[in-house]
Amino acid sequence: MLTYEEIMLLITALASVFSVIAVYYAIIEKNLVRAVVFSAIQSTIYAFIYYMFMAPDIVLVYIPVAVGLYPAVILILISKTEKVEKQ
Amino acid sequence: MRHILGLIIVLLFIIGFSLVLIVAGNYILPSHEIGMLAKYYLYLAYNPWQRNFTVMSPEAVTSIVWDFRGLDTVFETAVFYLAIIGSIALGRGIVKYIKPEEEELGLSLIVKTVTRISAVMIIAVAASIALHGHLTPGGGFQGGATAAVAPLLIIVIFSHYYLLEKGVTKDLMLFLRSLGLTGIAIVAIIVYLIALPQGIHAYVLQNQPKPDSSIGLPAYINGQLISGTLWFFNLFEFFAVMAGFTIVFLLITIPERAFRKEEEGEKQ
Amino acid sequence: MISLSTYLLTIIVTSMIMNLALALYGIFFKPHLTKKIIALTILGDTANTFAIIVGYRRWISPHSPSRPPVLVDYANINQEDLVNFVNTAVDPLPQALVLTAIVIGLAVTLFLVFLALQIYRLYGTLDVREIKRLRG
Repeated sequence: MLTYEEIMLLITALASVFSVIAVYYAIIEKNLVRAVVFSAIQSTIYAFIYYMFMAPDIVLVYIPVAVGLYPAVILILISKTEKVEKQ
Repeated sequence: MRHILGLIIVLLFIIGFSLVLIVAGNYILPSHEIGMLAKYYLYLAYNPWQRNFTVMSPEAVTSIVWDFRGLDTVFETAVFYLAIIGSIALGRGIVKYIKPEEEELGLSLIVKTVTRISAVMIIAVAASIALHGHLTPGGGFQGGATAAVAPLLIIVIFSHYYLLEKGVTKDLMLFLRSLGLTGIAIVAIIVYLIALPQGIHAYVLQNQPKPDSSIGLPAYINGQLISGTLWFFNLFEFFAVMAGFTIVFLLITIPERAFRKEEEGEKQ
Repeated sequence: MISLSTYLLTIIVTSMIMNLALALYGIFFKPHLTKKIIALTILGDTANTFAIIVGYRRWISPHSPSRPPVLVDYANINQEDLVNFVNTAVDPLPQALVLTAIVIGLAVTLFLVFLALQIYRLYGTLDVREIKRLRG
């Protein structure tokens, strides 16, 4: 029988493994817009991990910064420059 | 197909390596105890029985950020200030606002109406986060970062020119940011300035009374907990962070055709 | 005897090490500057996550969970509550350091975005190999 702490750590471990998948695709992806979206997915998972590790302050600063402002600024950069990474 | 294979290798590496790392787990993983210093911080964050050492703020993180390690944060604010100054210096000289004539800018009317409502709500929530920073999770940095979402949203949904016509210009934001930074500097030495005429010994970044310095800002005003300097620090940091980010967003969203027009003008 | 929660924590730490390695690979071997900036943000976030994991505190017993470093009921507090709070709250110091690091990381990233935009205006490309060829 799992205790509550083990359930909480199990969910967090699953989330961190999913963040590795998101980071992998963000690095590999040639289309930069899709890479930014994968990076935003990774940021959302990180915010969840911070919440699970009892850091409400970090969640409050991390959600606007990493889910809102980072992708928006990099999308503005992409819209002004190149959209696809050449091989 | 190659990507899937690479992903499987990465995931197998995680599962395998975590089995190896578990041997060293007792040394690198968090335990049931925390450090002695962290315990002192937690014990003294809000402690009415130790009036000479406490910060009188139930939020341990904010009390570390602005009181126990306040000097760190002041220097971090200086780094933030310099990064913004660097961005402004790079964007200097290309600020030419040529609004296209007779052209509807931005997205559709429905999106604009929703943005009008939600931008006000974002600012309200951000102000609430910043001003309750000494009671609940939050503070100047969090509130400022949240409030900076609203100008970016307006720039993307309406246009770069809409914000300028509403009066949110670079100069106003520079003024607000300077106001915030000056406020932080003044609040950092305000206890010293109060103590100086009375001939009492006091420190820079002092908040509550210390064992050898009996002066400090009041923790309660009218029964409301403001935790001395923390409330003012959060307020001014909110302005500094929000205005600093808004300047950079205003500069980064200048349409490229304004820049190209100027470049052509230089060549002729 | 190794408990299940120790193993789960090890998986989290190993995932973060893997994210760090992938982000470093992106910074060093990807030729496009935008991709380098994306990888840099991932690197910074992962480093911050390590600090948060260090500050975490395991539950003392299954019925007394660890809690955030915020004293909820401060108005009518007594000594016993305060000692209980100190004995169960997580470490606030890494959180305070990460808090400022995130905001400054955003400011530095904005500066890098400006630099990349200026490079594109001058060279017409963001590919490092082509910028190298265009030099001089």
